[in-house]
Order: sequence, then structure tokens, then C-alpha cells
Amino acid sequence: MKNKFLKISITLSCLTGLFLSISCEKDLPTYLEFESAPFASIDENGGTWKPVLLASGSQITIEAPSSTSSEAYQNELADVRDKMNSITGKQKKDITYWTNNPLIRWNEIALELIAKYNLIPGPNPDGTYTLPDPTNPDGPPPFPFAHPPYACRALAYMSVAQFDGLITAWNYKFQYNRTAPYKQDSSIQYAYPDNNIPSYPSDGAVVGRASRLILEAMFPLEKDYLQQKEAEFFNSLILSGGNVQSDIDAGIEIGNNVAAIALERAANDGMKKAQTPKAVSDSIKAAAYARFGWAWENLEVPPRPVGLTPLFGKVKTWNVPNIEAVRPPVPPQLDSEAFQQDVQILKNYADNMNTEWRSIANFWQDGLGTYTPPGHWNRFANQFITEDHFNPLRAARTMAYMNMAIMDSGIGCWDAKYYYHYPRPIQMIDNFQTIAGTPNFPSYTSGHSVFSAAASEVLAYVFPERASLVRGWAEEAAISRVYGGIHWTFDAFVGTDQGREIAQFTINRAKQDGAN
Amino acid sequence: MGSLRAQTPSDATLMHSKNICLLFATDFGAFNQYWEGELLRENQTVATVHRYTSTTMAAIGVLDKLDFYVGVPYVTTRSSKPNGGKFAGVSNFQDIIFAAKYQVLNFQSEKGQFLFLTTVGYSTPISDYLSDYKPYSIGLGAPEFSARGILQYKTAFGLFLRGDVAHLWRGYTKAERDYYYNDGSYYTAWMDVPDAWNYEAALGLWCFSNSLKFEVNYFGLKSTSGDDIRPYNAAQPTNKVEVDRVGASIQYFLPRTGFGAIVYHNRVIEGRNVGKSHNTGIGVTYQFSIKKKQHEE
Repeated sequence: MKNKFLKISITLSCLTGLFLSISCEKDLPTYLEFESAPFASIDENGGTWKPVLLASGSQITIEAPSSTSSEAYQNELADVRDKMNSITGKQKKDITYWTNNPLIRWNEIALELIAKYNLIPGPNPDGTYTLPDPTNPDGPPPFPFAHPPYACRALAYMSVAQFDGLITAWNYKFQYNRTAPYKQDSSIQYAYPDNNIPSYPSDGAVVGRASRLILEAMFPLEKDYLQQKEAEFFNSLILSGGNVQSDIDAGIEIGNNVAAIALERAANDGMKKAQTPKAVSDSIKAAAYARFGWAWENLEVPPRPVGLTPLFGKVKTWNVPNIEAVRPPVPPQLDSEAFQQDVQILKNYADNMNTEWRSIANFWQDGLGTYTPPGHWNRFANQFITEDHFNPLRAARTMAYMNMAIMDSGIGCWDAKYYYHYPRPIQMIDNFQTIAGTPNFPSYTSGHSVFSAAASEVLAYVFPERASLVRGWAEEAAISRVYGGIHWTFDAFVGTDQGREIAQFTINRAKQDGAN
Repeated sequence: MGSLRAQTPSDATLMHSKNICLLFATDFGAFNQYWEGELLRENQTVATVHRYTSTTMAAIGVLDKLDFYVGVPYVTTRSSKPNGGKFAGVSNFQDIIFAAKYQVLNFQSEKGQFLFLTTVGYSTPISDYLSDYKPYSIGLGAPEFSARGILQYKTAFGLFLRGDVAHLWRGYTKAERDYYYNDGSYYTAWMDVPDAWNYEAALGLWCFSNSLKFEVNYFGLKSTSGDDIRPYNAAQPTNKVEVDRVGASIQYFLPRTGFGAIVYHNRVIEGRNVGKSHNTGIGVTYQFSIKKKQHEE
């Protein structure tokens, strides 16, 4: 929370009545505020659910814990009591911040890093561009450029690792049934609402370690920051009265294992080749021109030689067996009536721009320097999860399916973008000006539309009472790009259909994971 | 960034009571370089950013020692062509400005005159312009309250030296997105526009019976908080803005007609998170008494 000290003085002027509209202090939230509430369910059979990358919840082996009557355990309890007795004010705030569903916070940390690194490298003085290099992350420019494909992939790997790790944790929790310190020792007061989820292994530690390792791989310059966050969080787990050290150690072991498996997949999913050399990019463009008689051009000054991740469409999907099989139909010919109609629609929006269209374009823009459209949908999911009091396992399930669907839809969208290589409005309409920035990749289909449709379908599946709400949002996100002047209507409408279709593959998987 | 020097809230001029001075002025501003944090750079995405400001302002002599001001600028922005961004510029009314200036001290001797004045001002947006659309946004989109102290020494010969200091309390501006990055995540549409200090100094000469004024001046602005523009990224209203600007103006009052004219030019010479603008302005003033008695300073 940020307070503005000097603005207190404005309170004085507020009193005069004349300056009321300056308004006094505002609290500007830096994370989702919610109260730790009792979980809606504890899912005692969660250990039997089908994970994504692991064969089962018992693939990673975790030793039985020491018995609660053992000296070792009693020493751990004494350690919890000692630490709680000397708790500081900062540590109390940390406990409130992390909540009993810390998955939300780790997701927000990911969104913050995406926003921090979502900066497109500018040109060098000689007009060339240098790309971020993972082997020299300091740059300049720093690695990574966390654009939407990069962001959706980081979120998918983090969420899948969290989900598989928590299925594993749940498997051993209800196998070993070692209850939490506050259940063992009545002098220990739990900081959060009581629940009947056994504490060994610590689910918090699984989430913290898996998230930290995935994010560290995705944002190598943030190692220190992430380790400091993890240490603060692990401390908080002990100080909440919810875990002893051996709970945390077992959770760390799961986190280490599951993150290694996820990162092994990430290292070989094709992302390394997604940003192609110019020769490859030129041949992709030439192929599209030969096929359709058009090709998208980058109109920046100086022009960027290669579009964003031309081969992201070849990256390994999570749940779609063949991405080309769900490629959308050919967009309108440039001399067709359908195309001319769209030109008129775009000109009409630009010429008669009003506050309503402008605010819709800006609300969904999620452009450079922000958490991207996938991040925006993660934020919605965080909100729904806390409103419905999901336990961490249910929360991870929601995020894993949503982020897999978002990434698969992004891969499908990029396949269409570079297969069709369709021009943007600024390329086709003379002197056309936009209120949103035109991105460095072809037009058809719209990434915002596809990401949003896929995300909203998974959320509609998990939160059926919000289905019409989230589908409406997805449609608004799609048309927002047309209001912004950077997409044709068919980019948006076909993109929405494409995202919905691709999400079904993930939803079909979710229906069979044993959670229902 | 345009500045007007015709009986404005920051000069040392006062009118007799029941006198009204109207000002119509146009300011032409442009920059093709800006400071990204402390780095001065060009950016072909926006190329040269032009900004035209037309201001209508009235100064009203309420008492001999108290003036009241009200004014409204109309601002138009655009990029030169060609540019890499193809962004649409904006036109709209900006903020309505109210100010009251009071003469606290007037020490007169044979050698000269020493003045101390204070101004309080308030401004607030009067259209739905979007502040979060840099560099084309036409204003900060936030209410501002200012308190200013002005000191001037003027010799009997007409030479004057003026200095003034103001604190600007800015409120919050509302973006059309409810997430932004400002050295960390913010989950709100409200952006905190940094408060600022403003320093001005002027050296000038009144001649021909106070009908002609030459002035060279300095304008400084320093935000008290805020973040830097990130590399090759757009500015935003939360930025820490610093400006050092120098300028000159000539003002002429046509005797007995009530009409006057002003021309000025100024240039930003140092800055932070701001365009390296140069501005040129011309204005016409018309002063009249509502008790049929003309006042000339």
C-alpha cells in the first residue's frame, strides 16, 4: 500500500471546501486484497487426481514424517513456539500478506515480473535492433522481453508445476495424516482459519519452491528478489503456526522435483527457436505471399527486420494434438467486399472515436509494460478463487487448466498469424492513425481475442455461475482491438471462435482428472 | 509547457480594482528529443511531437491589492510524419484555472519599489481527456492546488528582478486501465501524480512610461516523487518530472487603447521524463475598467 505523506496537507485545503475535488488520501492497492477465509472444501482425495506432467501423485517419493511424539518433532514444535514468541511487526504483516492461499501471491509476483520485463527493445543508434539474449541476460537489452507469448508460457509452466506439486502434496498429506502444529499444541494459535488439511508436506512450501524455481528460470535477473520472497514466505509458514520445519522441507523436495520436470519440458518445447533469424522470417513471409498475394509489413521507424516469435506456432502444445488441424479459415481477400466493409468500419471508429470505445480499447489494451492479456485473465482467476474460497489445490487446478488453454490458444493464434501473414490496418488504410500501439506481428487472428476466449472458457467451466460474465468480457476484449484501430473485425471474431475451440481440448482433460 | 506572461498568477503585476484584462494567446510547442529518466533520446515512433495551446484568460482587479484569474487552455497534439507509431493526436479543452493574487507588501522608496505577493491557484480538468496517453495527452488529468510567493524589486529606472517559488499539490488522475507498473504492480485505475516545486526568476526592464517590457526568465519544475520512463516505453502521469527552461518575452501596451501584445520564446535546456521542448507564443491583451476609468501601471 502506498501512502502519500505530502497529500495530508491537501486535507487542509479540502477543509476549505473549495478544493474538494482534489480528494484526499487514496490507498492505491499493489496486490489483491482479501481476507483468509475457511476453504470451501479440503479435497481429501486430491492426491488421486491426474497430474499434468507426473504419472501420478506418488511419482515423487516422500518419506514418512517422524511421529508427533518423537523428540525430533517436539523440538520442531518448540522451535515454532520460540519463533512465534519473538515475532516482529513486519513478520505479522507478512503473514497477513501471504494469506492461507499463497498461490495467489506467487501468481501476482509472476505478473509483476512480466510487467517489469514487458519492454520491447528499442533501436540502436545505427538503426539495427539487438534482441534479448538468455546467455547474456544483463544485456542490453535485458533478458527476457516478456511479450504475451513469453508471458503465457511462463504462467503455464508455473501453474502446471504448482498443480502437479500440490497433487503430490495432497497424496502424502492424507497418506501420512500428520496434523498441523496448532492442532498438536494448544498454545500455538493459527494465524488463519482452522482447516483439516494435514500439514506434512507443506503445500505452501511446494508452491513457494516450485514457483520460485520456474520464475527464476524465466526471469534470470530476478534470482535475488525471488529468493528473498521465498525466504520471507517460508518464515511466514512457520510463524503462522501452520507448519514445522520438516513439513516445509518435504514441500521443498516436492517443489524441487516438480520444477525440474517442468523446466526439462520447457527447455525442449521449441521456444528457443520461436524468434527466428531474418532469413527464416523472410521465407515464412514469402510463402504467405505466394499462397495469398499479401504479406504483413512492420512499419516502425527504423523497421524491425523480424516479427515477434514467427515460430511460436510450432511450440509444443499442452492439450491440442495438432494445432494446424484447428487453424481458422482464410481471411477475406484484399479486393473483396468483406474487406472493404471492414476498412469502412475501422475508419468509422477512428473518425468518431468516443469515450466509450476509447475506454474499452484502453481497459483491455494490456500492452507494453503491463502484465499482458494472459496476465489480465490470471488476475480475474485470482479474484474468483478468493471469492469462492478455493483451497490451494483447487486454485492450482484452475490456474493450470486456464494457463495451459491460454498458451495452447496462443500457439494456435501464432500459427495462424504467420501462416496467413495478414496485413494490419495501418498498412492497408492510407494515413490511418490508431489510439493503440500496432504490435510487431501479423494481424489475423487477434491475440487478445484468442487468449481471452480460451481463458474465459476455462473460467466458465470452473465457475459456471460466472460463465456469461467472463464470455462477455472475452468478447469485449476482442472488439477492443478493433476500437483501438489495430485489428480487423474478422481478426477479433474468428479469434474468439478459435480460442473457444482450442480451450475445449483442455476442458476435456479437466473433466477426466478425477476432481469432479 | 507554454507560459504566458501577461498579468499571470506568477508575475508581480496587479490591476486596480474593477479593471479587467482579457488575454488571448496561442503557444506553439514541439520536441524531437526527450529525457527517458536522465537519458536524452530521440524516438521515431513519435518523431517530432507538436503541441498547440490556445488560452483564454481573464484577470480581474477585485481590490487594488487583489486580483482574481480564470482561464481555460485548449490543446491540440500530434506527431510529425513520417513516424513509426501512427498514433492519433488529441484536441480538447484542458483544465480550468482559478487563481487569486494578493499584494502582501509594497515598500516604496525614491530608489525603487519592493513587492511581495502571494498567489493561490486551483485547476481541474474540464473535459474527458485521457492523461494516460503520453506523449499526446493534453494534461495531467488531475486537480492541482498551488501556493506561490513572489518577490520583486523594481528600480525607479524600470529595471526589475523577480523571483517566485510555488508548491504544486497534485491529486490523482484516473486511467482507463486498472493495472499499471510503477516500480511495482498497481491494481487500480488511479495514478498518483507527483507533487512538485516550481521556481521562477525574471530580469526585465519597463520602458517608455511602462508601455514596453523586456524580460528574460527562467522556469524550473521538480517533482517531489515519481518513477522514470522505462526504456523505449511511453511516459505516464506517475513520472518524476524535472524541467529547467529559459526564455524571453516582450510585452507592449498600446497607450490609451487598452490593447496590448506579448510575444515570447522559451526552451527547455535540461530535464527528466519530459520533452526537450521549445515554445513560441503570441498573445493579445485587452484591458478595460468597469468604472470607466482606465488604469495604466
